[in-house]
Amino acid sequence: MHRTDLPLAGSPRRHSHACCFIAPPDLLARLAESDRPEQREAAIRTLAASASVRTQRSLVTLVMRQLDVDVGALAFMAPPAGERRTVYDVQHGGRSALPGRKVRGEGDPPSGDEAVNEAYDGADKVYDFYKEIFDRDSIDGAGLELVSSVHYGSGFDNAFWNGAQMVYGDGSGHLFVEGGLTKALDVIGHEMTHGVTQYTAGLRYGSQPGALNESMSDVFGSLVKQYSLGQSAEEADWLIGEGTLVPQLGKALRSMKEPGTAYQGDPQPGHMDDYVELPDDNDPRNDNGGVHINSGIPNRAFYLAATAMGGSAWEKAGRVWYATLTDRLRPDSDFGSAARATVEVARDLFSSGAEQEAVEKAWRDVGVLS
Amino acid sequence: MKLSVVRGGGLAGMVTRTELASDKLSAEDAKALHEKVAGAGLLEPHTDAPSPPSHPEDLSYELTVEHEGRTRTVRLRESAMPEEVRSLIEWSDSLPERQMVIEPPGSGRASQ
Repeated sequence: MHRTDLPLAGSPRRHSHACCFIAPPDLLARLAESDRPEQREAAIRTLAASASVRTQRSLVTLVMRQLDVDVGALAFMAPPAGERRTVYDVQHGGRSALPGRKVRGEGDPPSGDEAVNEAYDGADKVYDFYKEIFDRDSIDGAGLELVSSVHYGSGFDNAFWNGAQMVYGDGSGHLFVEGGLTKALDVIGHEMTHGVTQYTAGLRYGSQPGALNESMSDVFGSLVKQYSLGQSAEEADWLIGEGTLVPQLGKALRSMKEPGTAYQGDPQPGHMDDYVELPDDNDPRNDNGGVHINSGIPNRAFYLAATAMGGSAWEKAGRVWYATLTDRLRPDSDFGSAARATVEVARDLFSSGAEQEAVEKAWRDVGVLS
Repeated sequence: MKLSVVRGGGLAGMVTRTELASDKLSAEDAKALHEKVAGAGLLEPHTDAPSPPSHPEDLSYELTVEHEGRTRTVRLRESAMPEEVRSLIEWSDSLPERQMVIEPPGSGRASQ
């Protein structure tokens, strides 16, 4: 696997700090070296045939640009029209086995494997939310095929967006309930929103920018869930991953309404006075500088803004946060700059002034703005 | 021999520590533990290279092996984990003798 900083498709200012892709290195090397058009064409066709590379066509496109290859030749790499979702079973393999064996493609009937169906339906709901509310066509805004792999590893207590696809472990039964990770729509929305962030603000995954990255995933993950249930901001429980933890640990992973109350020992702060300073390093105890911990502060700001504005949280607060994420934030944005950006966006989107005031008060209440 | 695995930085935001001690295992499993640890290169001296996360929720691992009075520690990201180490961790996780605790974040020794 290669890892490199690549500019993303679209605006040159968009940049992902950490972006990884899987490509046959020998093929790309031959492509780069060959001065024979038929060899370069053959390498492109081979690349296009790889399902895992196809899902990363934006990244491959950029690599091709760097190698000075005619990007138009890659047009046939686009998935067939209407092929929006594919779910694979990685059969307990690790990253080298991704995406795994194709189990369910777009339009295919339900599988006998519930995890497959949950990943398939969840991706659909997240896609529909972003399309219907924000007119966003998939994670990259350009119809990126949504690839999910289930049964990653053995009893793997995690789910993640790896830069190109969603990956779900089964849970060990000691931390996550077995089968629980694909059951929670907000978890699916959380992971897919990491993809949206990758293609837009590119928030660096460490310290405050990383906590903002995490918060954006909780915000839009929660909104997907609330939208699917038709809830107002008042009706929502504002819990992330409810029911995914084994019951003796706690009710949910995080609470946006009351950070620090989701489970026994929940370390999330809800105010800057309680910000947890941790080094952004390799130590697993430090959570990349506390990205899942300090996300409680912007999470609570969103909850306060959404409930102050009334109605359903995606209608106004969601619009402000979406425009901030996709148009204003940069890879090193911190809480202060995100707060100021949301206030400006609220002022620009809504003429009454009440929305701007609600946003400003929310950030004051969590101690980010004074 | 004792194998400790500390994991953090995943979706749950929790830090877990698991421990497996060979004196709690059957002779067969104790031998397998030694072989798998050695096969994963965890008895060799090495230097950790800094490695930022490859993607959000890229789990960080810290593996510590105590054996014959010596301690070796290595830190890895899940995205860069060699298959021998992955196989060792999955085998260790499957044993009923393996103990797990949840730790608060930021605890333990200072970052090295």
